[in-house]
Amino acid sequence: MFSLLRRFLISSWLVAALLLFWWKISANSESYFWPPLGQIATQFKTNWLFANVAEDVVPSLKNLAIGYFIGAPCALVVGAHLGLSEIAQRIFSPLVNFFRSIPGVALVPIFIMLFGIGDESRRVSIAVAVFFPTLIATIEAVRTSDAVLLDVSRSFKFSSFQSLWRVRVPSGAPMISSGLQVSLQVGFIVMIVSEMLGAFRGLGAFTVEAQQSFMIIDMWTGIIMLGILGYIFNVIFELIEKRALRWYRGQKGLTT
Amino acid sequence: MTHPKRTGARLELKDVTKTYTGHGEDKHVLDRINCIVEPGEFLSIVGPSGVGKTTLLRLLTGLTPVTSGEILLDGKRVTSPPEDLAIVLQEYTRSLMPWLTVEKNIELPLKLKKIAKEERRERVQSAILEVGLEGNDSRYPWQLSGGMQQRVAIARALASRPRILVMDEPFASVDAQTRLDLEDLVLKVRDDFGITTLLVTHDMDEAVYLADRVLVLTGKPAHVAAEIAVPLGYPRDQVDTRAHPDFGHLRGEIYQLIRGKR
Ligand SMILES: Nc1ncnc2c1ncn2[C@@H]1O[C@H](COP(=O)(O)OP(=O)(O)OP(=O)(O)O)[C@@H](O)[C@H]1O
Ligand SMILES: [Mg+2]
Repeated sequence: MFSLLRRFLISSWLVAALLLFWWKISANSESYFWPPLGQIATQFKTNWLFANVAEDVVPSLKNLAIGYFIGAPCALVVGAHLGLSEIAQRIFSPLVNFFRSIPGVALVPIFIMLFGIGDESRRVSIAVAVFFPTLIATIEAVRTSDAVLLDVSRSFKFSSFQSLWRVRVPSGAPMISSGLQVSLQVGFIVMIVSEMLGAFRGLGAFTVEAQQSFMIIDMWTGIIMLGILGYIFNVIFELIEKRALRWYRGQKGLTT
Repeated sequence: MTHPKRTGARLELKDVTKTYTGHGEDKHVLDRINCIVEPGEFLSIVGPSGVGKTTLLRLLTGLTPVTSGEILLDGKRVTSPPEDLAIVLQEYTRSLMPWLTVEKNIELPLKLKKIAKEERRERVQSAILEVGLEGNDSRYPWQLSGGMQQRVAIARALASRPRILVMDEPFASVDAQTRLDLEDLVLKVRDDFGITTLLVTHDMDEAVYLADRVLVLTGKPAHVAAEIAVPLGYPRDQVDTRAHPDFGHLRGEIYQLIRGKR
């Protein structure tokens, strides 16, 4: 209990100090663009606790969830099979490298063009952007499986499908997991940007709209909300990862 | 507990030759190795480091193809890992799945062979008992000592009910006491199940202590320098057997073969 409190204090004192600093320094601010944090906080309460959540946050998150849970599993399956075959890798790696060097957000205009400015184009953009980090990580994870484990698989006559999903993928899970995390972060960014480009609702749309109509305090509340959401996602991801990869941390002798 | 006595497999090596190709120059490692291992027999394979012991093992387990000659298991040519064969490798830290518990590690090969759940559970439990790991079912390999990890590997091999068990320096990196325990465990397993057992080692004492026969490999490329029968009785005992005068003679004979003197 005590150590939990201590951990919380260690990890949060800097944030608290910065907020306090911001609060103090902006308290008497006359600047239109840097309103006092106090005002932002009040407005934040009005905007997001929990008035517009159903309207502006839930749809965004739904798009993210749909995009992520389509893009990432596809990447896992495709990556796992590409990782197995050297020939497939050589054929596809130029393509993969080309597409992954395009920032996810740059894809958004293409999909708006193809699917209109509805949720579909946002979901597709997210799914495609999410695909590549996981794909690259999975290929690498599967490619570099331990030779001893593979000998064991062969000696027990695992089929190549079995050794892929029962040995290569689980043993590469730590690497795949980092890919999944990057994918989540990329997906989050694309979610926001896709709403900034011509959506009527969603957090991104809310934030640019506020900025364009000079409702600077609202804009700030949108930005803070995005920060909080992004932070929460990372925390949740890491909690799940920590559970799922307990064996890896144990094996490495990590304690935290 | 009763163990269904199985008959071991018969292994025959005929002019087995291996040349590694690729990576620059060819490397001729094994030269016309001939040997017959009778069902239920315990054969040790010794030789200096780098002579080709692991290579020979990989050939006869079907993990690596032979260059010429043939390997017959119960008369059937080995081209890929045979059904009746199980392997215990030297690298115990790398040969278990670190994401699976002891129980799940032993169970995995059975599960992938689609063996029914009840039978799986029974086989896993009896393998765990056989190697003396009871109470560790739900621990992870990395929570166990090296000796215990190697016991898990042996249990996993036994659970698949092999007729031939092949081990590559399985005790090379465990401490002395654990090593003696594991040696006796392997003897017990052979006794309980009657399986043919092959053990690669660079420890001449271990080779003599365990085996009915010792195959000595020397030279580059390696050939069979001698096949030495071990007429020591059973059961073997870590103190008495090793103190027996014949034990010393056999050991000395092998030592001289490996050193190339006589
Ligand atoms: N995949 C390979 N490609 C080329 N050469 C190899 C390969 N594997 C082994 N060798 C060579 O074959 C020879 C025999 O190696 P091997 O591992 O069989 O010896 P060993 O008797 O098991 O040695 P140790 O006692 O050190 O384990 C060595 O010279 C080694 O360099
Ligand atoms: Mg070796």
